[in-house]
Amino acid sequence: MSNLLPPIGHALRPARFGVRFSKLVRQRETGLLLLIVLTCVVVGIKDIHFLSCEVWREILVRCAATAIVACGVMLVVVTGEIDISVGSLMALLAAVMGRMISEHEWDISCWIGIPATLGLGTLIGVFTGCLVSVGRVPSIIVTLGLLTALRGLTTLIMGGQNIDRLPEGLTQLAKQGLCGVPLSILAAVGVIGLTSVLIHHIPLGRRLYALGSSAESARMAGLSAVRLKLFVFGYTGFLTALATIVDVPRLPKIEAGIGSEFELLVITCVVVGGVAISGGHGRLSGVLLAVVLMTMIRPVLTFMDIGEAGEKWTRAIQGMFILLAVVTDSFFLRRQRSSGGEHTA
Amino acid sequence: MHRPICWLASIAIAVSIFGCAKHDSSQTTGTSGETATASAGSHKLRVALLPKIKGISYFSSCFKGAEEAAKELGIDLIYDGPTDGNPRKQAEMIEQWTIDGVDVICVAPNAPDVVASAMQEARAAGVSVITWDADGTAESRSFFVNQASAQAIGEGLVNAMLEDLGPDTEGDVVIISADATSENQNAWIETMKPALAKSKLKLATIKYPGENASNALADSQDVISKYPNLKGIFGISSVSFPGAAEAVEQSGKGGKILVNGLSTPNDMKKFVQNGTVRSFILWHTVDLGYLTIHVAKALAAGELKPGATSLKAGRLGELSIVGDNVMLGDILVFTKANIDQYDF
Repeated sequence: MSNLLPPIGHALRPARFGVRFSKLVRQRETGLLLLIVLTCVVVGIKDIHFLSCEVWREILVRCAATAIVACGVMLVVVTGEIDISVGSLMALLAAVMGRMISEHEWDISCWIGIPATLGLGTLIGVFTGCLVSVGRVPSIIVTLGLLTALRGLTTLIMGGQNIDRLPEGLTQLAKQGLCGVPLSILAAVGVIGLTSVLIHHIPLGRRLYALGSSAESARMAGLSAVRLKLFVFGYTGFLTALATIVDVPRLPKIEAGIGSEFELLVITCVVVGGVAISGGHGRLSGVLLAVVLMTMIRPVLTFMDIGEAGEKWTRAIQGMFILLAVVTDSFFLRRQRSSGGEHTA
Repeated sequence: MHRPICWLASIAIAVSIFGCAKHDSSQTTGTSGETATASAGSHKLRVALLPKIKGISYFSSCFKGAEEAAKELGIDLIYDGPTDGNPRKQAEMIEQWTIDGVDVICVAPNAPDVVASAMQEARAAGVSVITWDADGTAESRSFFVNQASAQAIGEGLVNAMLEDLGPDTEGDVVIISADATSENQNAWIETMKPALAKSKLKLATIKYPGENASNALADSQDVISKYPNLKGIFGISSVSFPGAAEAVEQSGKGGKILVNGLSTPNDMKKFVQNGTVRSFILWHTVDLGYLTIHVAKALAAGELKPGATSLKAGRLGELSIVGDNVMLGDILVFTKANIDQYDF
């Protein structure tokens, strides 16, 4: 694909391209925001409790882990790769962390156990990156393999026993938090800030986009695809570990099924958020809005009180929401095109 | 020059592959036929035990009992299942075991319709198939090892809740189930409804978070915010029960909203001790695994035939068979007073 593009011409165009695209992509965020607000209004009319602080505090806490990992996966997708193993990685890290720092387990101090978990996550991420960049195996295949392998490893580590004695201090921080702000929210804010700086203010960010939009021209410009890919996968591994540390202690126990379908949720958020699956463009704000939208669906269904028969349709309704988000977007895209009279990409 | 050699080589490879495949299949049918006739004799019986989800403590405790029975009866026990509760993976495993020629497959189907055809094919190939923990379609298995009748569980849950709340309490209750297709949970819900209708409690809604701990926690938090007059939550799967208890504890409404459901005692000790959960129910899961293997053995040995009314199962003694259901017996009610006596 990439060698079909004239590398030099493409490299010369980014300024005009950029302006037009940012205009277009901004529409994605408009569409998502509109959908979020509209849903809030409709559900708010049905039951005003939905708009209360305590409900939204919970929703944001649930968003945190997804947002953290989505920051990493988004960059992976921007470079033209994909990572569908984050759910299994989360389960493995939760199991390892649980075994390390829980009472009556290996009894390792939190001060060692938590950095070790972060290290392990990063290491597995870098390993994935190695297979993809050095080994030249397509990332979908590598991470598909890891999806199963890591889950299997988790089952072995758990040995059929749940872990429910994480240190009191950590669970308190995860549930009540520092000055009332749960740990996961603090971590998410930090990660979003960091990722935003990375994308907008550091050359590395621009290089990732360059690599994703045309691997060939990136190579001609002297960028190392290997190093960039090692970075994005390592970063995703690190963020998955961070999400595990701040989010899992909220749950009643650590069991082998933790994080199941999490990878699908994250990918959905990245795609609905407007990141091109072929790489090269996509914005953090779109992804974050998509995270909020996707996390909202479950509480929305509860507050709409759709009744017993309706509840059975939960999954179908979730799917329709995703379609709705994408359709709204392409609707906007078309209007933009016809009104502007210019054709893009 | 090299072309003919390539062709010859590829033909040779193709022939050898096909030859092998043919040879293999004839071998497997041979062994399964053999075991069907010789299973009662000297041949070591191979039994595959398929849980709904591998790696969760509920099924691990069942496996403990199954291992005990396998040791007692000299059975080669295979224990495997999907880690995410995917019924399609269950079907694949059944197909694989059929090819491997195991003697008995014991299935806890996650979605009866999805695994039914694999189970029927296994039966057609001469493998005995039984269900345990959850029943499948009638023609896909010969017997069902029934841990407790749906009636006993549904009424047990509602009665335990009424006892804890006081029989005249008015207000809403919510059921947090597993998936909308979970056969067990649906059967229990059907028996809970009439029992609730007799009380002053109103069933406000039923949620289906799947076998996902985050969703179970989220759904429970949402119903607590949504229904101000909520008195109780039934968490009727091993994932949704602790999720509901955690949500009530985090909301600071422990004691005001009671949580009740089915769980292994080890998983719930924490919540019983802090008062979020006053009582909950379950059958003896270790015994369920133990009985399943005994039924498998009796079936393979020809001791258990359709129409039987009782079965002797090792240390459990004489158990009754109702229709094609082998009954495990009474359910257990766990409270703060007795929970420390159990370890599973």
